Amino acid sequence: MSAMDPTEIFRQEASELFEVLEGALLDLGQRPDDRELVDSAFRALHTIKGSGAMFGFDKVASFTHEFETAFDRVRKGEIRPTQELISVALAAKDYIRALIENPQSTDDIIGEAILDDLKRFVSSDQPAVAVVEIAEAPPLAPGGSKQAGWHLFLEFESHILRNGSNPLDLLEDLCKLGPCFVVPITDGVPFLDEMEPEDCYLKWDVKLHAACDKAAIDDVFMFVSDEMKLTLSPLEHVEAPVPAPLLQLLDEEPALAAEMPAPTVEAPVVEQLVAKAEHGPQAQPEVKVEAKTEPKIEPKAEAKRDDRGIATVRVQAERLDELMDRVGELVIAQARLTQLASAGSDLSIKMIAEEIERLASSLRDTTMGARMVPIGSLFGRFRRLVHDLSRDLSKPVEFVTSGEDTELDKTMIECLADPLVHLIRNAIDHGIEDTATRSANGKSEQGRIELAAVHSGAQVLVTVKDNGGGLNTARIRAKAEEQGLIAPGAALSDHEIHQFLFHPGFSTAQTISALSGRGVGMDVVKRTIENMRGSIDLSTRPGQGTTVTLRLPLTLAIIEGLLIRVGEGRYIIPLSAVEECIELTAEDERSRGRNFLNVRGNLVPFLRLRELMSSSGTPDQHQKTIIISTGETHVGLVADQIIGNHQTVIKSLSKLHSDVTIFSGATILGDGTAALILDVAQLIALAQSKVEKQHISEAA
Amino acid sequence: MATILTVDDSPSIRQMIKVVLEPAGHSVIEAGDGAQGLAKAQAGKLDLVITDLNMPVMNGLELIKALRKLPSAVGMPIVFLTTESNDTVKQEAKSAGATGWITKPFKPEQLLAVVAKLVRA
Repeated sequence: MSAMDPTEIFRQEASELFEVLEGALLDLGQRPDDRELVDSAFRALHTIKGSGAMFGFDKVASFTHEFETAFDRVRKGEIRPTQELISVALAAKDYIRALIENPQSTDDIIGEAILDDLKRFVSSDQPAVAVVEIAEAPPLAPGGSKQAGWHLFLEFESHILRNGSNPLDLLEDLCKLGPCFVVPITDGVPFLDEMEPEDCYLKWDVKLHAACDKAAIDDVFMFVSDEMKLTLSPLEHVEAPVPAPLLQLLDEEPALAAEMPAPTVEAPVVEQLVAKAEHGPQAQPEVKVEAKTEPKIEPKAEAKRDDRGIATVRVQAERLDELMDRVGELVIAQARLTQLASAGSDLSIKMIAEEIERLASSLRDTTMGARMVPIGSLFGRFRRLVHDLSRDLSKPVEFVTSGEDTELDKTMIECLADPLVHLIRNAIDHGIEDTATRSANGKSEQGRIELAAVHSGAQVLVTVKDNGGGLNTARIRAKAEEQGLIAPGAALSDHEIHQFLFHPGFSTAQTISALSGRGVGMDVVKRTIENMRGSIDLSTRPGQGTTVTLRLPLTLAIIEGLLIRVGEGRYIIPLSAVEECIELTAEDERSRGRNFLNVRGNLVPFLRLRELMSSSGTPDQHQKTIIISTGETHVGLVADQIIGNHQTVIKSLSKLHSDVTIFSGATILGDGTAALILDVAQLIALAQSKVEKQHISEAA
Repeated sequence: MATILTVDDSPSIRQMIKVVLEPAGHSVIEAGDGAQGLAKAQAGKLDLVITDLNMPVMNGLELIKALRKLPSAVGMPIVFLTTESNDTVKQEAKSAGATGWITKPFKPEQLLAVVAKLVRA
């Protein structure tokens, strides 16, 4: 992180703030009287302004300042945020974003036009307000330097715990006053056998970094003031809440750290630490030297911390990928060790192998957990999309999201953005009817789009649901017949007909709107989802709407697989696709050439993997069939042997193998050999095309 | 949330405490005097006791002393209600084992603040 450009960090932070700002502005459109939203928009603006000035984005700072000034009347409750005002505010937000992300593309004239618009909305009797206040920028004055806080020394009477007071609670209350650096003094703690479990032996040395009243501190200790010794002295010089060198010591000198009294660092302090860590370079001491020559920097950095509630550390994505790779290799190495150990008779090696297995699997889970990102970050982006689309198409739409904290692998979150944009766009453009049709059908004029994510076993379901007119099955059918995808009058279920929507180049839109034709069709959506080993499903009710369900695995890096053997080769089938395993009966065996299995009365096409892999040698006497499926379609795969479950760490195939279709990757087995991972979707497609060819040759 | 016992001979005070604390998610048990209060404390685990001092049968000070002898009440916060702001009473109750006090008359916020101070999630 230290290598990262602080400007880059600011950009990242700003981009998060823009989301907050945009979210708040959009919500304001619906709840114009919500003070919280105005405040949150204002906080975001304020931070962007302060940080922008610090990192040399002077235009950002001055523009944001004017934006803020103009918006101040909304905050004071003098004017209500109308839709028009929010639209201008959003434009202003976009302009600031452009100033930060792509300054060349911006034009001062546009900025001035936006500001003029803003001022027109907010100014009535006092047009001069904005101009007067500009003179005051930059905004933040250096913080108070007289008294920076309090130094406390706490010593309680030993019986305090018995009487129901808990010093830790009191420390917690103290931390609510401001950032505290708490060091327990353990001198008084006796040996274990002399220790009275109900007595309090610890004393505390606390540096409270908040210039609060002495009364506030007395208030914390009001009930125990006669049962404690409290030494209170003002802290004079400005000091970081946790001295950075101490942190470094803890990092670099484990021996020294061990000698120190175990520091009980209260939660807010940890948050402070994290906030410091997040701000990277400017929290480091050498930068602080510069800070002294430029006293403004310090308080601005403080201001940036405002809303940091959740303790997070920002890590570069590649590092996580790297970590996952290493863990993957570790899991593979561990599998080899386990195999070796179980083959031998050395009990101690077996025990170590078991221990390593346990550690490796928990390490794997933790690492995967670290890659998980709440899907809410993605959902937030769509609110703007819906807002803009519904304005452009004049279809009022209520956008509801749920399950924002459902976590998914970060790679998948990135891959999901485009498909979801497409689905939401479809839902508004094609799904939701225009207001006239809606009211004619007795529906509320405002359409509704629900975007939801929910955990379901090892999968995450993401649904996009609209309450529009539903799919027009007849029209899809007509189109499919027109394109020659089905014979006229073929007997197909509605569900089968709807699948044509995923066909490349299939569009039933009678008119092409400006929103269509962005190059991503439903076929691309389907392919993207399937590349993530997910599946997509449509359900629709005429007049009531359509629901698109995406089923996604939790992670891309590791899957549960079924290990099988075909000839000499070993292959992995993703377990999520496996329905059941059955033995290939002699009768099925005889039906050579037909390649259909009778599974409880259903005909299931099957593929002989031996033929597909061109395996040499004699096949096993009892061939096994693994039934795989994606949703509706089932296909049997005939293999020589089913070896069993296998934790599969997926390695992608090299570029040289990019044209290999039936494999989606490879993994390394316990004995060090490689196994290829079968691509279920491709195999099913292959089986189906064979069935179709058979139909054609039979027909001929 | 927390289970809180209120011991007071005045039903209106008990009711007031109940009305303030129950919406905050606590469950409130009532007792009309110290003896009843002690019995309730023996019957189940409590997170906080709020007791009056002047009560019939067994007064607050006696209750506090008796509670502190219960093994289950070690470390349990006990708050007493007092009308006098005089320090001798406070001192007496504190040395009997009370954790804190609330001066009558009190506002709902004051009660909530004291409860929040002594009862942790």
